[in-house]
Amino acid sequence: MSKFAAGKGFAVTALVAAMSFSGMATAGVTDKDILNDQATTGDVVSNGLGLRGQRYSPLKAVNTDTVKDLKAVWSFSFGGEKQRGQESQPMVKDGVMYVTGSYSRVFAIDVKTGEELWQYDARLPDGIMPCCDVINRGVALYGDLVIFGTLDAKLVALNKDTGKVKWKKKVGDYKAGYSLTAAPIVVKGKVITGVSGGEFGIVGKVEAYDAKTGKIAWTRPTVEGHMGYIWKDGKKTENGISGGKPGQTWPGDLWKTGGAATWLGGTYDPDVDLLFFGTGNPAPWNSHLRPGDNLFSSSRLAIDPDTGKIVWHFQTTPNDGWDFDGVNELISFDYNDGGKTVKAAATADRNGFMYVLNRESGDFIRGFPFVDEISWASGLDKNGRPIYIDSNRPGNPAAATDGKKGKAIRAVPSFLGGKNWMPMAYSQDTGLFYVPSNEWAMDIWNEPVSYKKGAAYLGAGFTIHPTNEEYIGVLRAMDPKSGKEVWRYKNYAPLWGGVLATAGNLVFMGNPEGYLMAFDAKNGEMKYKFNTGSGIVGSPITWEMDGEQYVSVVSGWGGAVPLWGGEVAKRVKHLNQGGSVWTFKLPKEDS
Amino acid sequence: MKITTILTLCLSLMLSAGLQANPQTDPLNSVMWDYNRQIFLGNKAEYVFDDRIKVGVPAFAEDPTQVPLDIDATALTGRIERIVSWADLNPIQHIFTYYPHSDVLPKISLRIKVQQATAVRAAVLTTDGVWHIGSSWLEATGGGCTTPSVGNADPYWESHLGETKSRVFKGAQSSRYKFRVIHPMDTGLVGSIPEFFIQQVELRDDSGSALARMELSPPVSENPVITFDLRTTDAQHHLWLRDNNGNEFEKAL
Repeated sequence: MSKFAAGKGFAVTALVAAMSFSGMATAGVTDKDILNDQATTGDVVSNGLGLRGQRYSPLKAVNTDTVKDLKAVWSFSFGGEKQRGQESQPMVKDGVMYVTGSYSRVFAIDVKTGEELWQYDARLPDGIMPCCDVINRGVALYGDLVIFGTLDAKLVALNKDTGKVKWKKKVGDYKAGYSLTAAPIVVKGKVITGVSGGEFGIVGKVEAYDAKTGKIAWTRPTVEGHMGYIWKDGKKTENGISGGKPGQTWPGDLWKTGGAATWLGGTYDPDVDLLFFGTGNPAPWNSHLRPGDNLFSSSRLAIDPDTGKIVWHFQTTPNDGWDFDGVNELISFDYNDGGKTVKAAATADRNGFMYVLNRESGDFIRGFPFVDEISWASGLDKNGRPIYIDSNRPGNPAAATDGKKGKAIRAVPSFLGGKNWMPMAYSQDTGLFYVPSNEWAMDIWNEPVSYKKGAAYLGAGFTIHPTNEEYIGVLRAMDPKSGKEVWRYKNYAPLWGGVLATAGNLVFMGNPEGYLMAFDAKNGEMKYKFNTGSGIVGSPITWEMDGEQYVSVVSGWGGAVPLWGGEVAKRVKHLNQGGSVWTFKLPKEDS
Repeated sequence: MKITTILTLCLSLMLSAGLQANPQTDPLNSVMWDYNRQIFLGNKAEYVFDDRIKVGVPAFAEDPTQVPLDIDATALTGRIERIVSWADLNPIQHIFTYYPHSDVLPKISLRIKVQQATAVRAAVLTTDGVWHIGSSWLEATGGGCTTPSVGNADPYWESHLGETKSRVFKGAQSSRYKFRVIHPMDTGLVGSIPEFFIQQVELRDDSGSALARMELSPPVSENPVITFDLRTTDAQHHLWLRDNNGNEFEKAL
């Protein structure tokens, strides 16, 4: 930075000099730090507390006995007039927290005091097109860089000490509907990102960039028929068409605007050396326009991190007609089956089914509903493909007498999903998945639509209804071996925040009513709650500093529910916006 | 011993340059002189007020968001290391820091924003370690730094960001480059509009090395218009710009 950057800048310079001096012992975040993140409790350097995305911490100072004493130590406001949904997962490294806010903002905070060290506000054009609120889900850390995606579809790398831009790359054209909201991940020195924009007829893709320089390494489209590319010594080389060739599972030209956005980012498992990315709904929503399976929409893709090739895929909702936008995270875990270790992975889909897959091959092991009602399928066949109930697919507008509106049907779950973006957690102690889910239905009908760059590309109308008066949100403990629900916690408003499991036999989660809550992981008994002042739609973390365990979570109501929620709006319209990060610990015992 | 050397040096400089009677007193008597001097020159830097440094401003800032500023240090003998310019009473004082190559004339023109009537400074550091200070008083009604950029009322800049218009004026012994680049240059002092400004400007020759290097701050006006003067008339140059969001722009002149 400039030595003479204004009066305020001068003070910052001195501070930065002091910080970089004290930080000289550390070389920044390495690939090893990221791979060991789950085991190293002194920091959080990956989204999901480990690239497998288990959101499980071995810390246990805060446990079912002590959690009642948990106290807030500081709260940091994101400030400004910009609030809206705060869906970030903070990261912590060497005493500094890196957390994102709405409108593509990044904050670096001294975790001892809650004081701001720097802030980066991306200057966004007015023309950005986020479908589902101006949120961001967090940063990636690598070396001395803090890397995040912006709402105008840029990947930005900031210096961790100053917040100054080191490199910046355009991932997609925001005028065509591309944006970035997910936290990128770093695997083998490459920063891997997906894209958002499935409601605008974009073409989903996964891309890898050299994390240090921002140079592109490969790009993999997630719609059948599009060419992938790899860069070798700076030269762009063809790297195979996704799915082999166009026109196999899509009619006509629809694959050219096929959606399948990779908007939630991905996970990685070093045992099998594969990236796992979910893909969203095919575009448009009206499924009668695109008979066929519409690969690779509503799927889980296993991608080789070195080449960007698709190794296997598993499609949860072929020819989706309900916006079962199945990007949901695939979490790697091992379990014992008659003395044999199974390398498995689990995912709880928007469509209401939870799937356990073999993560080496993508083979279906088992699947089961995790919501109370599923109206559109009677079950899954032996390969995990849904057995459709044809009368519960929204009707074809072309078959209607006026040709304008197809037959409306009631579908459960609603398009906001049995589970939406909010990540579940897996406890290595209980062997259970803790799934934040919602019980809601929708009326949905199809309408004619054609593609226009930068315009919504849905071809559907809809409205969401709660299915009962008592609750929408349900936090469920699911056994991946039996498919049984072990316990549930019911919440009046829909759940929209991530989950954290710890070795202290606890499960942490926030709710839109503003409470950070902790449950007994074995039986679901609520052991703690604290109101953070605005709704929680972010993902909690825990880490250790100076021998004490800390818990942090962002607070700030928003996301897709208030924008798309239909009748559900009644349950959430009194919830106020916010924008802050809260940090908790146990009081220090007097010696 | 060291102090004696410096004193001797100062004295000899003052004598040789024929400076004002008391070079340490701010001729504009600004309350912010000492504060800014310490920030931009450092606490112990040697400096002199020097009439050879011309700071050209209009008598009155008709439009406080676009005030022409011309700085000319060509009367100074000796190699120049850098030029730092600031406005004493702006909320963000620093305007630019300029590192001219010996092939470039030490003069520059651009437009700035002012928040109120203020002293405008140019501090020129010569290789002997002495800062030569030029100053001018600018009358203004103010508000230039806390008014939203014009671009904010119109999405035009979004699709034209970094577009540059330039002209070359060839003289007998020198050539002048003038360019205008589309950029909102937001100060960050307006609610809900984050700071967004061109931070680095470089005039590069064919081999890519910089002839002139500037670091800008948000008081440089929206859609900056900047003029460089070169001693050469033949070489090919291009302009490289980078803003604080990391956007880079390049343009052949």
